[in-house]
Amino acid sequence: MRHVIIGGSIAGISAAKAIRQSDPSAEVTVLSGEKARPYYRPMIPFLIRKGDIDITFEGDLEKRYGFAVAYEKAAGIDVAKKEVRLESGRNISYDRLLIATGSRAVVPAIPGIRGEAVFTLRTAQDARSIGKSAEKARSAVVLGGGLVGIKTAIALRKAGLGVTIVEKLDCILPGKFDRRGSEIISNIVEREGIRVLAGMSIVEAVRAEGELRGVRLSSGDTLDAGMLIVAAGTRPDLDAVKDTGIRTQTGIVIDENLRTSVPDIYAAGDVVEYTDLVFGRPAVSALWTNAEEMGRLAGRNMAGGKAKYEGFLSVLNSSEIFDVPVMAIGLVEPDPLSREYESLVEDNVDSYRKLVFKGSVLVGAVFINDVENAGIYTNLIRSRMPIGGLKEEAIKGSLRYINFIRTVPEQTMSA
Amino acid sequence: MKQIFVRPELCMGCRSCEIGCAVQHSKDKTLFSAVLQSPPPSPRLFVESAEDIKMPVICRHCEEAPCLNGCISGCLYRDEKGFVRRKKERCIGCWSCMMLCPFGVITRDKEKRIAVKCDRCHKLDLPACVNACPTGALQLVDLDEVPKEIRSRTVLSGARAYRP
Repeated sequence: MRHVIIGGSIAGISAAKAIRQSDPSAEVTVLSGEKARPYYRPMIPFLIRKGDIDITFEGDLEKRYGFAVAYEKAAGIDVAKKEVRLESGRNISYDRLLIATGSRAVVPAIPGIRGEAVFTLRTAQDARSIGKSAEKARSAVVLGGGLVGIKTAIALRKAGLGVTIVEKLDCILPGKFDRRGSEIISNIVEREGIRVLAGMSIVEAVRAEGELRGVRLSSGDTLDAGMLIVAAGTRPDLDAVKDTGIRTQTGIVIDENLRTSVPDIYAAGDVVEYTDLVFGRPAVSALWTNAEEMGRLAGRNMAGGKAKYEGFLSVLNSSEIFDVPVMAIGLVEPDPLSREYESLVEDNVDSYRKLVFKGSVLVGAVFINDVENAGIYTNLIRSRMPIGGLKEEAIKGSLRYINFIRTVPEQTMSA
Repeated sequence: MKQIFVRPELCMGCRSCEIGCAVQHSKDKTLFSAVLQSPPPSPRLFVESAEDIKMPVICRHCEEAPCLNGCISGCLYRDEKGFVRRKKERCIGCWSCMMLCPFGVITRDKEKRIAVKCDRCHKLDLPACVNACPTGALQLVDLDEVPKEIRSRTVLSGARAYRP
């Protein structure tokens, strides 16, 4: 069986591993559009300050798992002939195909945004370019207050630049943290010298003779900036599936076995649109952990398995913001008008915990500077196990694994 | 392969396993120097109790380990013996593994800002926690040799965690 995987990041690599583990005779080719050994993409903000740290997958993937990575970009798919067209002009045939092309940065149409000193952060190369430019710049504006924007801002601040985050919505981390959590994180980054302007947009990247001088804001004010980093979100990279008939909405639509609407073609990772376990509706994930899981299951199914994918949590973030651990999992900010949800909050001087319940089922959690045992909560959210009687322990943080274990009376055991 | 087998019905909650673990992971690996070490060494397994049960909760080195699969930095890896271990120098303290471990057995080294977890005492024949357990609640066994009824009893009680 000949498997081809378009995309050399985590979804593609974990699929390739899974295929080879399920079927050691399978022939697997991974096509990577990036001319770089597969690497841990979430690590790229660290490359801004230290361009030479090693973030690649260790070891020889080919030797260890028996698949080859071809550094070629796919230009299209001929579904009838079961061939992938490469940009080099070559065609490569497949029995089973995985689309794991990931996502790309969204760049809003703003006058002056095209040109030098404007960056997005999606690849290791992007990060190194930002780092290089930061050596000469004194100040930077980051458009977008999501996690990528914040991590970029932190790296640039640590590199000594004056940094301003401009977020269109009225708080940073919109959709990813609850309002109070966002406020706390905002305070942390501002305390460290990053300016946060929420509820503001950039209407122009101001240039003089082509050179970036700053940005003009919706308020009318102008900010000086030698660099502009656009971190305004991502969208699935659907270029490869153009004219294939593969069903897409925001991303590629898959069934519970991670198959697309076209036979023998699977999809996994950021490019996919699938059920969010707590929102109960389709979402795109853009998260490493989810992409790894989707790739692994898709690979297993491509090799003949029948793994069923239940869905992901599109909010599943853990990070450290200037030495403060922060986590958000699941549904963190329920509609205040809805009576379906109950939020329990412990808002202390140096820590913050919030749990969101739907009846007796935990559906969301936010932890700031008190993150011990967080995995127990993540697992409760994923498994949707009712924990009605343990809400008090849960918000106090005394919930443990043992709370879910009961000794089994002897007579219920079958010999 | 031999695995650590937990028998909750034999655990009396003495926490000898925690002490054994912390000492093994201290600088000099002796109790006397471990108690003087600052900050004190921390155990990687935890005796927990609920109304009708006590038991050490320990890393399972899961076959599909959420911590390993979710590690974003390449710190966690599976060694040649099948144990999920750390390359400490690659940990960036993002705590993704903590967010994902359903057993709650990954903790933070707040000084070094790195994740701490069980390494199955990979250099020892007998893990320190098993060695320290006076009642047999922690045993190192070949699971195929454990009588089926004892095994299924434990598996069944463990599986309750996931039953809705």
